[in-house]
Amino acid sequence: MNNFDVTVIGGGPAGLAAAIKACDEGARVLLIEREERLGGMLKQCIHDGFGLSRFGERLAGPEYVERFMDKLSEKTVDVRLLTFVTRIEKTAEGFCVVTVSRDGLERISTKTIVLATGCRERTAKQVFIHGTRPAGVFTAGTAQHFTNRLGVMPTKKCVILGSGDIGLIMARRLTLEGAKVLGVYEINPTPSGLTRNIHQCLHDYDIPLYLSHTVTRVFGADRLEAVEICEVDESYKPIESTKVRVDCDALIVSVGLIPENELAESVGVELDSHTKGPVCDCQLMTSVDGIFSCGNALHVNDLVDFVSASGELAGLSAAHYAKKAQCKVNIKIGNEFLYLVPQQLDLNADNSRVTFYFRSKAVREKSLLRLTVDGQEVFKRVYPFLRPPEMQQLVLNMDKFAVQNGSDVRFSIEVAE
Amino acid sequence: MKIRAINRKLKKQYGNAVNASYEDGCIVLRGNLDKWDDVVAAGMLCAEPYSKCHVVNDIVFTGAEAQKMRMPSLKDKALEGDKPDVLIIGGGISGCSIARELSRFKLDILLLEKEADLALGASGRNDGEVHPGIDLSRGSLKHKYIRRANRMYDAVCAELDIPFKRVGQYACFGKMSWLPVVWLFVQKRKYIDGIDDAKLVLGSKIRKTEPNLNSDFAFAISNPSSGCVSPYNLVIAYAENAVANGARVSLNTAVTGMEVKNGRINAVMTNRGTVYPKIVINCAGVFSDEVARMANDRFFSIHPRRGTNSILDKKAGKRMGMIASVVGASIPGKTRTKGGGILHTVHDNLLIGPDAVETYERENTATSPDSIERVFAKQKVTMPTLSEKDIITYFTGVRAPTYEEDFIIEWGRKTENIIHVAGIQSPGLTTAPAVAEDVAQMAASALKAEKNESFNPVRHAPPHLAAMSDSERAELIKQNPDYGVIVCRCEEVSRGEILDALNSPICVPTVDGIKKRLRPGMGRCQGGFCSPLVTKIIAEYLGVPLSEVKKSSEQSPIVFESVKGGGENE
Repeated sequence: MNNFDVTVIGGGPAGLAAAIKACDEGARVLLIEREERLGGMLKQCIHDGFGLSRFGERLAGPEYVERFMDKLSEKTVDVRLLTFVTRIEKTAEGFCVVTVSRDGLERISTKTIVLATGCRERTAKQVFIHGTRPAGVFTAGTAQHFTNRLGVMPTKKCVILGSGDIGLIMARRLTLEGAKVLGVYEINPTPSGLTRNIHQCLHDYDIPLYLSHTVTRVFGADRLEAVEICEVDESYKPIESTKVRVDCDALIVSVGLIPENELAESVGVELDSHTKGPVCDCQLMTSVDGIFSCGNALHVNDLVDFVSASGELAGLSAAHYAKKAQCKVNIKIGNEFLYLVPQQLDLNADNSRVTFYFRSKAVREKSLLRLTVDGQEVFKRVYPFLRPPEMQQLVLNMDKFAVQNGSDVRFSIEVAE
Repeated sequence: MKIRAINRKLKKQYGNAVNASYEDGCIVLRGNLDKWDDVVAAGMLCAEPYSKCHVVNDIVFTGAEAQKMRMPSLKDKALEGDKPDVLIIGGGISGCSIARELSRFKLDILLLEKEADLALGASGRNDGEVHPGIDLSRGSLKHKYIRRANRMYDAVCAELDIPFKRVGQYACFGKMSWLPVVWLFVQKRKYIDGIDDAKLVLGSKIRKTEPNLNSDFAFAISNPSSGCVSPYNLVIAYAENAVANGARVSLNTAVTGMEVKNGRINAVMTNRGTVYPKIVINCAGVFSDEVARMANDRFFSIHPRRGTNSILDKKAGKRMGMIASVVGASIPGKTRTKGGGILHTVHDNLLIGPDAVETYERENTATSPDSIERVFAKQKVTMPTLSEKDIITYFTGVRAPTYEEDFIIEWGRKTENIIHVAGIQSPGLTTAPAVAEDVAQMAASALKAEKNESFNPVRHAPPHLAAMSDSERAELIKQNPDYGVIVCRCEEVSRGEILDALNSPICVPTVDGIKKRLRPGMGRCQGGFCSPLVTKIIAEYLGVPLSEVKKSSEQSPIVFESVKGGGENE
């Protein structure tokens, strides 16, 4: 089946919550994940502290994901792994999501989309670190991937730039694995991460935190050999006289996250220049009707509990929107008609003045036009003449005819008595 | 200029620190100076543009420690006793294009590159512009080759199966009052220098074509023949085609010395053994004067010149579709360049730069913030909406100019079996296809080589799935499901394509090698997501632990030993 009410793109905490919720609401749900396993970044977050507000427990990332995976397994959500969305097209029914996977290229039609695409890390070049291009410059998340998922050490002796949470977590993690973390350097006068992480990750392990400091340059033609560190003034400009060279084999940067919205932008979703995520309404619908956003793709969250909550809201809203989108009733016509427009009635719209246009198939005299809803006659009108070249116009208040989802709405023409 | 006049000028500038003498048809400078800018200025003072009487600058720079050439760590005897007909030193655009043109003949060709991959010098670190030659006058070798080579690009890129776009170029002027002078200049270029595509366009036309360029521009010189390629992809494609036609490429191989007897090179020593070539072609870029020295044939000097380019996100690429620059607003500070510009790359990014800074360090490709600031200050005049915020990365290349600022393409002057292809700087990428034809002909005639009847000029690039139609893509995934597994999300590169690159004629199983061939890591996340995945695929392909995978050189491991838990988890 390639026809869904809700297609969730991204199988991290936001996407998982969205898919489960949308399924609970009775929607036919597809969850697309580009990696081999669900869980997103939580797969590599083996430290604890997740789910404190949702479950009242301090779970590790993979444990937190497992709670959702267990729920998901009870649902009828269609999950596709190692599947990558290459583009989204708008269609009359909603959207066509084009994916590639080992199974080939697929076109999936869906009424709504929930974008749960997460975020990416700001890179060393984006904070204007200069010098050579050696091995050994990592974003904190990449270093975490190597350490926790691939089980290899990205460094023996490193400097961490940025006191964002992933940077702090990695300072502790690498120390536990026997690497020397020379210090965490933060350009701001105050730490960027959660206070509890400053204590639990740095203070507890005697890792120094240097505020109002930044890395300005890296050295080493092959593997990183050293970094240049400077104090900064109030306007974040490096103070030349404070320049020091610190020998190390890696620089790990944790300097911010950027919501991933390239897919969103490709279908015209409007972004907020502050959050870098979509502009959304209270149901988390973006500026494109039928496309919803949640989690870190919407804005960068500090706690995963919020990510899940926004996923649930987006999933719920998408399911409701899809259901509403189902409230289109086909208007049937008899053989006597050449045609009649519009052909559908949207029960969610204002139908108090619906204008119908029709032509009869043959030249007729004295005819009776009849409208029935579920077999009940609700309207009739007599026409002295009906000719195919002459279009007829008919304005009706359809709201008073008690048309319901799935109703049989039928126009017919017969000989008037 | 008479040598006495030169020495008078030198004395005025530098006292008795420097003197010049006329030796073997060259102007040789000797002395000591502690500022590199002075060393270069002294060389320039003696040089006559485009002259065949070159400046050999032997002034000792006392301001910093002399830089040693980066050497590969590899040491073996893989090439010991090898007797190629032609030995090409340097795997940049010159070396690789010449190797390919030479493979049209029945010759044993061996190309040496000291780095772990091709195009790691200036050939891979430039803006990729295919120049029209609007800045070149008759009389130089640069001019001799530019139009012929520019016209060859469509055919060469089609044969080598790499993207090439003639996007066109505007050199923009802010003041209408300059129009008469510029009109005269364009007439001269067009009718005397043969730059036949040059024409003038007015501001209204500029605004219609490129609405995001400065709205104050009054007119521009337009050169529709300007284009862009991916420079390293062109080098690699040339080399792959050469290899397919029988040439050999040896990476991580540096020339350490030569044995010259009776005006002939007998032997060339490398870190992989001694080679006995009939002819040597010197395409060694910033080290071409060093190679000439080893060959006992030094008659020119290279003075390295750095240039830095920034690459902007593809979103910024939508704002401008060609090559544009402003004329008249100079880059602040000392510079010697056509001034750089804004270029819409063949991969739809914008590339900004380069600047030009003299340096004593031939291989220092480190970037610095002032280069970027300078270039942006100038190019914001070209396109006011240009923003540093869109930068995803930046890189520096080192050009290899002579003091005469022209190419050297000739047989050795004292040593007979060497051809120097030196001083190749901008527009050296553009001129390469034509230069390669001529140099190959020189070598082939000298060796009385026969035509290689089985030469096939066509190289088929491995499939690039993101650029295909849905049906083509679906068909390929059916044949090889690995094409359906996306590894790099930013540039949409599949596992199958990475395996293709690892199985390509010149396998470079490093993270940078894959990046250059396929672009994983060149997108907006700069490898944040894909680098662990690419590292893993390479390790699996080579059958080695992750810690054995390199970024580029042998000394650039990505990761170290396993974590305490041991073993690789996935």
